[in-house]
Amino acid sequence: MFHPKVILRIIGLLLQLEAVFLALCIGISVYYGENMMPAYLYTIAALVGTGLLLTYIGYNKERNISRKDGYIVVTLCWIVYSLFGAMPYYISGYIPSITDAFFETMAGFTTTGASVVSDLDALPRSLVFWRIMTQWIGGLGIVFFTVAVLPIFGLGDLHLFAAETIGIARAKLHPRISVTARWIMTIYVCLTIIETICLKLAGMGYFDALCHAMSTMSTGGISTKAGGIAAFNSPLIEYIIIAFMLMGGTSFSLLYLAIFKLRPGDLFRDQEFKSYLKMVAIFTVVIGIGLYITENMSAEGTVRTALFQVVSVITTTGFSTVNYSQWTPVLWLLLSAAMFVGACSGSTTGAMKSIRVAILGRVMQNEFKRIIHPNAVIPVRMGRSIISEQIQSAIMAFTLLYVGMVIVGIFVNMCFGLNLVDAYGLSLSSVSNVGPGLGNYSSANAMVTLPTPLKWFYCFQMLVGRLEFFAVLLLFTPVFWKRR
Amino acid sequence: MKIVIAGAGAVGTHLAKMLSEENENVVLMDEHEERLGKMESMFDLKAMVGLPTRISDLEAAGVDSADLFVAVTPDESSNITACILAHYLGAKKTIARIDNYEYLQPKNKAYFESLGVNSLIYPEQLAAEEIATGIKYSWMRQMLEFGDGALVMIGVKVRENSGILNIPFKELARDIPYHIVAIQRGDTTIIPRGNDVIEADDLVCFMTTKDQIPYIRSICGKEKYTEVQSIIMMGGGRIAVRTANLISKKVSVKIIESDMKRCRRLVELVDDSIMIINGDARDPELLASEGIHETDAFIALGDSSETNILACLSAKRAGVHRTVAEIENIDYISMAESMDIGSVINKKKLAASNIFQMMLKTDVSSVKCLTFIEAVVAEFPVREGAAITRKPVKDLGLPRGANIGGLVRNGEGLRVSGNTMIQADDHVIIFCLEHVLKKLEKYFN
Repeated sequence: MFHPKVILRIIGLLLQLEAVFLALCIGISVYYGENMMPAYLYTIAALVGTGLLLTYIGYNKERNISRKDGYIVVTLCWIVYSLFGAMPYYISGYIPSITDAFFETMAGFTTTGASVVSDLDALPRSLVFWRIMTQWIGGLGIVFFTVAVLPIFGLGDLHLFAAETIGIARAKLHPRISVTARWIMTIYVCLTIIETICLKLAGMGYFDALCHAMSTMSTGGISTKAGGIAAFNSPLIEYIIIAFMLMGGTSFSLLYLAIFKLRPGDLFRDQEFKSYLKMVAIFTVVIGIGLYITENMSAEGTVRTALFQVVSVITTTGFSTVNYSQWTPVLWLLLSAAMFVGACSGSTTGAMKSIRVAILGRVMQNEFKRIIHPNAVIPVRMGRSIISEQIQSAIMAFTLLYVGMVIVGIFVNMCFGLNLVDAYGLSLSSVSNVGPGLGNYSSANAMVTLPTPLKWFYCFQMLVGRLEFFAVLLLFTPVFWKRR
Repeated sequence: MKIVIAGAGAVGTHLAKMLSEENENVVLMDEHEERLGKMESMFDLKAMVGLPTRISDLEAAGVDSADLFVAVTPDESSNITACILAHYLGAKKTIARIDNYEYLQPKNKAYFESLGVNSLIYPEQLAAEEIATGIKYSWMRQMLEFGDGALVMIGVKVRENSGILNIPFKELARDIPYHIVAIQRGDTTIIPRGNDVIEADDLVCFMTTKDQIPYIRSICGKEKYTEVQSIIMMGGGRIAVRTANLISKKVSVKIIESDMKRCRRLVELVDDSIMIINGDARDPELLASEGIHETDAFIALGDSSETNILACLSAKRAGVHRTVAEIENIDYISMAESMDIGSVINKKKLAASNIFQMMLKTDVSSVKCLTFIEAVVAEFPVREGAAITRKPVKDLGLPRGANIGGLVRNGEGLRVSGNTMIQADDHVIIFCLEHVLKKLEKYFN
């Protein structure tokens, strides 16, 4: 069953909320004395107008949202948000093409952080802030964000959540989903504030500190400077960002328990968190050794660079301190393997997620065991709990979709004349919401040279990857639209 | 004494039968008429159909005047509820059978007491503990600990290579660090006296201190037995789960279960290291592919006693030298013994002996039953002025079929001779045939 009126009403409400976020940018632009008023005011007017219109059309007593409605609302609201979010770039004339403006916003909301802006330093600070704001909202999810701030959807929250969840759903922190969302939101905001303070103390200005903190926690990876993190030239800042990227890649429910409920033990007993740390350690050591042999760097520098790049890529943030495409090929290939793995479910990251990789590993091990013991009943265990066959098959379907999407991306990219390395890097990076790719596209703002159709395809890949395939691709299945 | 037993399953019927033979007034109730079957016509007890959790049924069973209420249905929640209700209606003592290890923890005891549940029994746990100790010492049939481990009772089947065969007791019994409390030869139980001798294939019960266990092992000629490192279990019932979780840290365990649904449940219940195999444990090909020839012990815990016996026999033929069978049919136990099955586990006897001790009027720290002999070993704390402290042991005139195995004084295990005077605060460990236990009460009052 579809409830078109309810869908319209929710989208309308969400649009009005976006206007509030955009209003924050006006503050920044006034502070910096920028001539950006028309761009913001027109956009806000459009948002509020459309929002009110949709709420008016959708006004009725119906409060139920079906599961199908949930998927439509989530996919639609990510697209509509990006469309309206692109307006300030276009109206102000800093990004004169609609394609580029939409690309820029979608890259923001999906926390990919890829960019078509070649000279970032020339952009008004308030527009830079808007880019980072889109990431910060997209980090936990647009619907999630809304439910946490204003529990307006009533009974439909659950279905909306299901469509937007990152990774495998965990046990709720609180019986009510809106309270759970608020708690997770609190930890998200607190960590962002703490990081801002840390970065300020480490020598950044207030604006840079806040923007980088928002960018790190959402694992988006947009910087305020054209030179990125390297422009600050401070090992301390790099270490702070490493630490908070690691936290951004951790399940926020676990972080909540560890920090607010003082139960850090839960964090270190968690199988996924353990395998996440293990992955980070393994990749860092291997790449570190590789760097030490091939590059002429100090020991500390090698460790820091390796750790920074691995954490940045595995959490799908996409910050970089060096141009890793100039490393020995095997090293950046290893980094791309880290992109596949990803961090924890329930975080702000993209890609496979450690839990899925760990479960797939167990499934594979079990298949070997089964050859020797054909009659054995071998469960897939994560810690004490047993992964049901239903979840196992969902994970395998997910993996197939993920890898399939990357491969399709490679084909499409190569059709437009990219070489294999560029095509692979771009495809993987967009599906996993990392940002920078490989080869010629190894810096986040190199996307400006992409042909227009590829930019649209890139947007599609980012959205599909961010909403974990099923939510978006479901709308393309005939069974979804069947009446019965 | 009036006893109401709720639940006519294996444990309930055995208990009812045993108690009615002891001339107690037994009421056996169960909600299913067919389970009560011919109990009433075969034994001197009252059988009634009723739900143990329904107050009117409990009243009809006469719970208000009962001295003991025993709830042994398969469902622990019903058992606990039934006990709470029985206590409320006026039963003096209540016992509930449970299936949850957490409930047994000492810190929860007071709470259950306050609910009106005086004690909890967990037959599967008792059986699992017994299997686990049996596996640890693969050369003996059974080991029981008394006085917090100060004294142990060991049952060993002696073979022809033993050094203590055919020596009359009056010669054997000089300066030995152990005491032989009983010998089981075929169907007869012998409480040894001066001229008796131990013969090959006898089952001998030794009472000794823990540090003498290696010595007992050497005189019985059991040195060649290797330690158990791998086990195959047949049947994934509750005993198997408890046992597997008790021993899985030291040995590798495989459980073979034929019901696929149960297999799926099992993987949630047991530790990670235990492998669950779906199949029929009587299938020699399956056993061979799971490495029965390299397995040290085979434990048959299936539903049917006959199958368990046969499975153990075939495991023996495949070269497993340590087998344990769960035999719920008490008549088969001596038969299983003559077929060299190895240890026998009987959940009913374990539960019954446990419940039995609660019926004694005197304090008794523990009553443990021997699976291979129709006998129990009881540990009695001695009170100030009890009859047993007045005369040396040889003049006490203990009933036939009872034998003092030893005593624990200040935490130290001591042997008892004819001239020993038992003192207050000692713990006396007495071996006795099952029906003699009640007669011992008077010595301790």
